Amino acid sequence: MGEKTGVWQGTLALMALRTLETMGPQHGYGLARRIEQTSGDRLQLNYGTLYPALLKLEQEGFIRSSWGVSENNRRAKFYELTKAGQRQVMKAATEWEQTTAILARFLAPAEEA
Amino acid sequence: MRQLRAFWIRMRGLIGARGNEDDFAAELESHIAMHTEDGIRAGLSPEEARRQALIALGGAEQTRQAYRERRTLPWLETLWQDIRFGLRILCKNPGYTAVAVLTLALGIGANTAVFTVAQAALLRSWPAKEPGRLGKLVATTPQGEEINFSYADYQDLAEQTKSLEGILVYNRRVKMLRVGAESKAVLDDVVSPNYFSVLGITAQAGRFFTDASQLSSEPGVVISDSLWHRVFNADPSLVGKQIWLTNRAFTVLAVAPPGFRGLERMVPTDLWIPVTTEYPSEELADRKNREFEVLGRLRSGATTEEARAELDSLGQNLAQSYPAADKARSVSLISERERLREAVTPTLILMTAVGLVLLICCANVAGLVLARSDARRREVAMRLALGAGRLRLMRQLLTESLLLASVGSALGLLLAVGLLRLQPALMLPAQVEVGLDLHLDASVLMFTAAVAILSVLVFGLAPAIQLSKTSLVSTLKGEETGVVKGLRRWTLRNALVLGEIALSVVLLTASGLVVRSLLFSRTLPLGFDRQRQLIYFDLLPGIAGYNGQRSAAFFAQVEEKTAALAGVRHAALARRVLLSDSGGGLEQRVSIPGVELPQGQLSIPIKFDTVDGNYFRTVGTRLIAGRDFNSGDIPLGARVTVVSQTMAERFWPGQEVLGRQIVADGTACQIVGVVEDAKVNSIHETPEPYLYFPFAQQPSEDGTIIVEADGSSKALTARILSELQRVDRNVPVSVRTVDYLMQQAFWEDQIAAGFVGVLGALGIFLGAIGLYGVVAFTVSRRSREIGIRMALGAERKDVLRLVLRQGLTLAAIGAGIGLVASFAAMRLLSTMLYGVKPTDPLAFVGSAVLVILVALAASWLPARRAASIDPMQALRTE
Repeated sequence: MGEKTGVWQGTLALMALRTLETMGPQHGYGLARRIEQTSGDRLQLNYGTLYPALLKLEQEGFIRSSWGVSENNRRAKFYELTKAGQRQVMKAATEWEQTTAILARFLAPAEEA
Repeated sequence: MRQLRAFWIRMRGLIGARGNEDDFAAELESHIAMHTEDGIRAGLSPEEARRQALIALGGAEQTRQAYRERRTLPWLETLWQDIRFGLRILCKNPGYTAVAVLTLALGIGANTAVFTVAQAALLRSWPAKEPGRLGKLVATTPQGEEINFSYADYQDLAEQTKSLEGILVYNRRVKMLRVGAESKAVLDDVVSPNYFSVLGITAQAGRFFTDASQLSSEPGVVISDSLWHRVFNADPSLVGKQIWLTNRAFTVLAVAPPGFRGLERMVPTDLWIPVTTEYPSEELADRKNREFEVLGRLRSGATTEEARAELDSLGQNLAQSYPAADKARSVSLISERERLREAVTPTLILMTAVGLVLLICCANVAGLVLARSDARRREVAMRLALGAGRLRLMRQLLTESLLLASVGSALGLLLAVGLLRLQPALMLPAQVEVGLDLHLDASVLMFTAAVAILSVLVFGLAPAIQLSKTSLVSTLKGEETGVVKGLRRWTLRNALVLGEIALSVVLLTASGLVVRSLLFSRTLPLGFDRQRQLIYFDLLPGIAGYNGQRSAAFFAQVEEKTAALAGVRHAALARRVLLSDSGGGLEQRVSIPGVELPQGQLSIPIKFDTVDGNYFRTVGTRLIAGRDFNSGDIPLGARVTVVSQTMAERFWPGQEVLGRQIVADGTACQIVGVVEDAKVNSIHETPEPYLYFPFAQQPSEDGTIIVEADGSSKALTARILSELQRVDRNVPVSVRTVDYLMQQAFWEDQIAAGFVGVLGALGIFLGAIGLYGVVAFTVSRRSREIGIRMALGAERKDVLRLVLRQGLTLAAIGAGIGLVASFAAMRLLSTMLYGVKPTDPLAFVGSAVLVILVALAASWLPARRAASIDPMQALRTE
């Protein structure tokens, strides 16, 4: 499993939300690095694709953004979860767990047979 | 909800794009800076660190683009771009745009107007709540289908039916409503008391009649919103007051809601009166007296089939119980769905006809677009070369077409409104208001939108596809626009233009004939002088209780008082008015001693009028021989008559007529005078024998005082009306003028001339545009060839001739076909033509010449453009 996989459609948003939930407010760059680290560097992430995804989440009201100062004293835009975002993480995580659980049932016997 | 919120934010993102773009640029800059710093910290050179950061990002510009697309709605943005670009292109060619828009407006406007008429006349449901549950009762008899029922039968049906929850009757009548000094004819529906409740309509003021008990005491009436506004100035206190209808007082119970016009589409109802007020009960009990139309409302849940089966058995019961009246009559029901199904075919025929007009319009606009798109080939090639996608390009071209169609539809809607406003002017003038309820509603607007989109597909798609297929290299190199092979071949477009021209010749010939016929009709002698200011006061003393000699005395008194007024030249009395609306005519059986009647009959019916001694003098009928009636022609005196010229010539050709006897309705009369023939019912009737009798010897309970006024007659009319009031205000009187009668008499001719004339104008307009499109197309295709010709020494006039020849050849062939077709088609018109033959050379030559002239004008514009081609430029750039 040495090869890096691309990001599946729709999962990036959940990753970003979940990361914001555990880490608190983050700027885009930090968020991108964090997602890569969490995946154990197995994810091939084009940092550029993160920004439209963040914008979509903001338009949907799950996160909000404001300008602030980074740990290295650099101006950066920080993203943070809203109330609706917190609910969305719960909801999406449950859905995702269910999906993987169902898929696992399909895949497990096939490997044994 | 979330999607909606996001959509809204993206919509807003379209505005104020700049600030947000800077904001994101700053964010991206800080991202790259942080990544670079991390790289430097890991030991990379600053340049390498920045390069790595950009690679990880996947490109700054790509990111910006993806971000921009998410931030706003890209399709909306490009649509807006397309629209702005399209508008600029259309504004750059105002002539082309105006012609295209006008053509589309004509097609779309005509379609919208016809659809509105079809909807009002055929498709619209009953003006009621849940109209789908209403059905019309019909009776099938050996003579065919009938819609009229007797009230007694209706009552039996209403009592016994279980599948219909309500069932109502209505019957159209006319009443004289007293308004000030005058009485106006108004249309009333005599209805069953449950009429409004079965329809599910509520009054806007007052209360409708509901149960029979309140009806018997005092006559009550419901008036329409239109009458309330027209006559009573929307007086809010009218409910509860009394109005006079044909000399009977009625209490206004309620005002119907705005827009409710009763159940007849063409003839709006002004008043509703309960059956029991209008008819004596013995008349309602008579089962042979079938005057009522019946409408039933299905119980909810009941099907048409159930209702029909039940009505059938109820009808059989009626036929068994009352064989004298109802034998062999069976009862059935036409549901709303069946009525609509029957309305579909005429609607389709109507829409197909007017749809063809739209198709021709679209074909013409397509021709214009093609002619121009050929000239735009280089622009398109340039944009393709700069990287525009073909689909994107097609979308841009279709957007342009859609813009044309939108403006065209807006104009078309205005045109339709104008056409619909014409309705009152087009209807036969009548004393009661008739006409369809025409207005643009949501369904009409949707129809127009659909037509517009359809027309874009028809006229815009082909040029768009063709243009977007432009071969980039060859166009930029200047090929393909040169000499094109097979230019003269018979294309569909040429055939279409030929057809349009031929059709316009036919229509113009027809209008020429109809107009000449109208002009001829206007010179026909009518048997009275229509230049005189004649005013007619129609009086109904019979309604106020006058009969026989009392009526004659009443008229004599009224005439005397009227004649004495200043401004009155003459006043006369007649029972019937020439060229009056009523048509038909009174007749007496006449036998003539000493003259054998056709087919050996003992007597023949001859039309007549009763007039007094002032009549011929007042209306201007010429006395040919003998004398007028005079004061000696009294009831007890010798019976006399005046005959028409045709009567005299037919029965006593070449002989002395005066002094001879005829026997009319059993009474011998002596002929004392002969007058010129007069038109009785129609300006186109052939003269018939006609008789005049002295009013005093045959008095009637209705009659008309005819006044010849000195000049403008408004004030005089009012004075005469108040004079009539003073004699007896209970006698209903209504007023007509000679102008009104003439409008009626010439209505048919005028409508025919107007209709055919408008069609002719439309035809020639479309033909001209079609021809222009074809010629302009060829010119733009041949500009290189023309350039070469000019470089080789061809002069301007040679080029003009070259192009004009093409247009004129097409026009001449089309006109030839049109003339031949006219020759065949005009026979159909022959029954409508008076004083002009259907082969009238002037109409034929005139229409052909007019078409050729218009064709010349239509080809002139592109020809002039061709002649002004600069040979050097044409050769260098093309």
